[in-house]
Amino acid sequence: MKLFLWGALAMASTVAGLYFWRFWKESRDRLFVFFSAAFCVLALNWLGLAVTDEPETRHWVYALRLVAFVLIIVGIVDKNRRGRAG
Amino acid sequence: MAEAVYMLCAVASVTCAVMLLRGWATSKARLLFWGSLCFIGLALNNLLLFIDLVMVPSMDLVIIRSAVALVAMTTLLYGLVWDSK
Repeated sequence: MKLFLWGALAMASTVAGLYFWRFWKESRDRLFVFFSAAFCVLALNWLGLAVTDEPETRHWVYALRLVAFVLIIVGIVDKNRRGRAG
Repeated sequence: MAEAVYMLCAVASVTCAVMLLRGWATSKARLLFWGSLCFIGLALNNLLLFIDLVMVPSMDLVIIRSAVALVAMTTLLYGLVWDSK
């Protein structure tokens, strides 16, 4: 069951990443690049959980999740700074 | 090291949820609304991850937390498909 859920999550994240990529192509708003990259990294996170089985090193897969959230935070901060400047 | 990663994931995801909620409260953009709901769910997923792997390692919450994340992502996909222009 967990493999199914992780696979579904990987696919959902990939689709979300593609949507944000499309939004970037249409608007050229940098925020969407950050969101697209973040969701692609989240997809890799769930893919990594599904294919790895070593409990001792599993936290490195979760580090990918942290990278994704940091990308989102950086994107939002960047957008807010651009909004204040321009 | 692992505990630090799980805690940072929880903190970062809660931060994302709060920032998106504030953005939605300011702009009322529909995409931000769906994104906020998604990241609230992902924040809950990461809080459950920390509880599962650090606080109560004897219990296995992987199905529950993965289901919460899947509901969160489905919510975002719904918003992307139906409410993004």
